[in-house]
Amino acid sequence: MKKGFRQSMAWLHTWSGLVVGWVLFAVFVTGTASYYRAEISRWMQPELRREATVTPDALAQAADLAVAHLQANAAGARMWFVTLPTAERPLVELFWRTRPGTPPGHVLLDPRTGGPAELRATKGGDFFYRFHFELHLPPLWGRWIVGICAMIMLVALVSGVITHRRIFSDFFTLRRDKAAQRGWLDAHNVSGVLALPFHLMITYTGVVTLALMYMPWGVTAAYHGDQQAYFAETGQITQGRPPAGQPGTLAPVGPMVREAMARIPEPLERLTIINPRDANATVVAVFEEPHGLSHEHPQVAFAGTSGTVVEVLSGGLRPAAKTFTTMVGLHEAHFAGPALRVLFFLCGLMGCAMVGSGLVLWCVARLPKAGAPAGLGWRLVHGLNVGAIAGLPAGIAAYLLANRLLPLDLAGRAEREVWVFFGTWIVVAVAGSLPAPRRAWRGATALVAALFVAVVVADLATAQATWDDPAWFLGFDAALLALAAGFAVISHKVDRFAAPRRARAAAGGQAGEPQMGPA
Amino acid sequence: MTLLVSAGLSFLGLSALCLSLSRHHQAVWSAPPDRRRALALRAAGWVLVALSLAAAIGLDGGTFGPVHWLGSLIAAGLCLIVALSYRPRAVVWMAPAAAVLAAVAALGSMA
Repeated sequence: MKKGFRQSMAWLHTWSGLVVGWVLFAVFVTGTASYYRAEISRWMQPELRREATVTPDALAQAADLAVAHLQANAAGARMWFVTLPTAERPLVELFWRTRPGTPPGHVLLDPRTGGPAELRATKGGDFFYRFHFELHLPPLWGRWIVGICAMIMLVALVSGVITHRRIFSDFFTLRRDKAAQRGWLDAHNVSGVLALPFHLMITYTGVVTLALMYMPWGVTAAYHGDQQAYFAETGQITQGRPPAGQPGTLAPVGPMVREAMARIPEPLERLTIINPRDANATVVAVFEEPHGLSHEHPQVAFAGTSGTVVEVLSGGLRPAAKTFTTMVGLHEAHFAGPALRVLFFLCGLMGCAMVGSGLVLWCVARLPKAGAPAGLGWRLVHGLNVGAIAGLPAGIAAYLLANRLLPLDLAGRAEREVWVFFGTWIVVAVAGSLPAPRRAWRGATALVAALFVAVVVADLATAQATWDDPAWFLGFDAALLALAAGFAVISHKVDRFAAPRRARAAAGGQAGEPQMGPA
Repeated sequence: MTLLVSAGLSFLGLSALCLSLSRHHQAVWSAPPDRRRALALRAAGWVLVALSLAAAIGLDGGTFGPVHWLGSLIAAGLCLIVALSYRPRAVVWMAPAAAVLAAVAALGSMA
């Protein structure tokens, strides 16, 4: 290839961006939504009543209730996970794992009664969170695909920066009065360059989060592949206690909860109970992260049968482990208060805009000449673009709509919501590839806007009576209406767009490689 | 509060930087800046951006300061670019408004 360095990088940027763009768009959208995972979950279970405070006594009681339920229903499990109630979410959530490969058991309990919580079944915001890194595939497959796409995204980011000829003089430039290709290029550059620190940070730390899966060799060599041993030695989790092989009886966990809370000032978040019926059972109390960038939960481990403390883990990570947990912390942004969270969300939206505008730009730069039929490749990319950029938001809106409209006692309700999500996505993607490009974009984006409006209408019509905090729900609905307005504006613009006369006259001749600066 | 201080200062700094470029200067004042004006704007821009970082670190420390600074810088940049694209002349009143905002927020966070 006899080309300059910059042209090579432009080629690399175009094609590395294109092949992973659709997956990245989905990862960015669901990741951005995950900043409000707890809020989405709350909106999707409007029956939930928040409480002013949860007292230590109530926590200890809830822990005892949880263990009683697990003893009765999950006695054979290797591990029990108990998420304890908080004021925002006064529920006890139980997970248990019996053996690898089988799906974990799961139940939500009302901490006052000990019975199943009276809430509609839904995966809530957790669905978007898991989709963000597993794509609703078997976890290993999903994580590998997302990881490889993220690595290619790093290639696209760096090659994009090299390709961009006038990064500083075009920094503030968003021209709307020139040819369509110029406008899309400006939008791609602005969303990419302005939030570049965020894009680099989020992509790199995203790969780092699962780095041990992508690069397991160090742990394989030093710990014979035992990741838990590695995490324990670096001080990220408490030391493992192998099962004794003798049956044992778990001591009451209520006193352990009190003891743990006396040692760590942060709020108690969950309990992990390992080998609950073994003489060497272990109860680990896991606390919320202290204020800081680093993702590290203080933990207190108890010998399960006696209830004595065996280990207290709070801070004190060595530099390498601290670097890792700080990167994970930056990616998850649990430290962000409401205002900073809005900014992270905005940066996430700019990431979606960067990926989306890049995909559209590929098509705009290769528009078939007037009268000429579009090639197969162009139609394929265009169809996938409509399917991803309009189809995914349509799926999200339909998922929320299903949450309000499906009968509350429907069997497998949570899974049906997910079916609706994928069903809508597929329908929009297929239907969007049929009509002429402009009609497809106009129709699909108008549909997304209509669906988000429908979600708000359905919420007002069916769930209003159950709201515990009307202002909060109205705020959430207002955010959905803002999304609807955004898509309506896009639809309107697609409908009204006419290239300026000068640009139209000049068009037709030049539809080659997209240029990243003035040619 | 820190976010407002550093967003206000960032907006001012980015406005100065962007007005030092002839294309944007022309869009606002219908003439390109002369050389001295461009250099002065550019210097003021970098100083203000640096000041917004310093303010964020001063208010929130070396760990959270830079994170807050980057977030507010990106948001301020987005506001500025959208304003430039739709109403370039709005920068003439938005920049003083950003200065007032930063000053009020700074007073608020000291009180």
